[in-house]
Amino acid sequence: MDPSSSIQEPFDLIRLSLSERVFVKLRGDRELTGVLHAYDGHMNLILSDVEETIMIVDVAEGAPEGQGTVNVAKRKMEMLFVRGDGVILVSPPSRT
Amino acid sequence: MLIFSVFKTLTDQRVTVELKNDLSISGVLKSVDQFLNIRLDSIRVLDEARHPHMMAVKNCFIRGSVVRYVTLPAEHVDTQLLEDATRREAATQVKR
Amino acid sequence: MASLQGYVDRRVLLILQDGRAIVGVMAGFDQKSNVVLSDSKERVYSIDEGVEEIPLGLYLVKGDMIVLIGEIDDTLDKAVDLSTIHAEPIPPIRY
Repeated sequence: MDPSSSIQEPFDLIRLSLSERVFVKLRGDRELTGVLHAYDGHMNLILSDVEETIMIVDVAEGAPEGQGTVNVAKRKMEMLFVRGDGVILVSPPSRT
Repeated sequence: MLIFSVFKTLTDQRVTVELKNDLSISGVLKSVDQFLNIRLDSIRVLDEARHPHMMAVKNCFIRGSVVRYVTLPAEHVDTQLLEDATRREAATQVKR
Repeated sequence: MASLQGYVDRRVLLILQDGRAIVGVMAGFDQKSNVVLSDSKERVYSIDEGVEEIPLGLYLVKGDMIVLIGEIDDTLDKAVDLSTIHAEPIPPIRY
């Protein structure tokens, strides 16, 4: 059976990503990758083996707009609950 | 409901709550409600030198809506159980 | 509610969405975690000066504005000389 045929609504895509590594984009210029273990209708998530990436844009004084330097901070967490109101998107693992 | 139940199973464990104002508070989880409001005991603010505001506070109530993350004790989270419960809850919510 | 019951008649610290810190005695609360404080004071933090306490008296704080409510240990609190504490204010809530 074509696996895509079991996807009828958006949440099915997340359901099929359970126990897989997912990419999550969050408000506040944050991104996560981690293994998805639980979610609910608010897109609250529980992930393990998480790496968080925070983008910090420093716009130097007098620099033209859009010429800021981007600093990236990374952090690892073993097991993490993510509140759904900060979630922008959840992307399943790449199949390449 | 699922995530609420997960937090209930973590009662009396030490967790770290990161708020949307970048404050991180670690403490022993005493209770949680349906809004995911959280009661913590024996709290410690991370980077206390920068945040002396809570020096005299030993336990607190955190409003669920201001939580960004909660780092959980991985050894007390059964990921297989979580995934099964998530699939079960997703199945009951197909017809909305 | 993960219950504010234990905080009634206790001295508490409220941290608000805009970063303000208010101490007072919790006179009451409701389902929406609206809170009434008596004898309340705002603690204003700054790097350059010690903490300034501004009396506010009887205060009703809307639940939506509240980030955190902490019970104050009076002995610990009295042991601190606020005028010697220099700190950045708590940042406001953003994502």
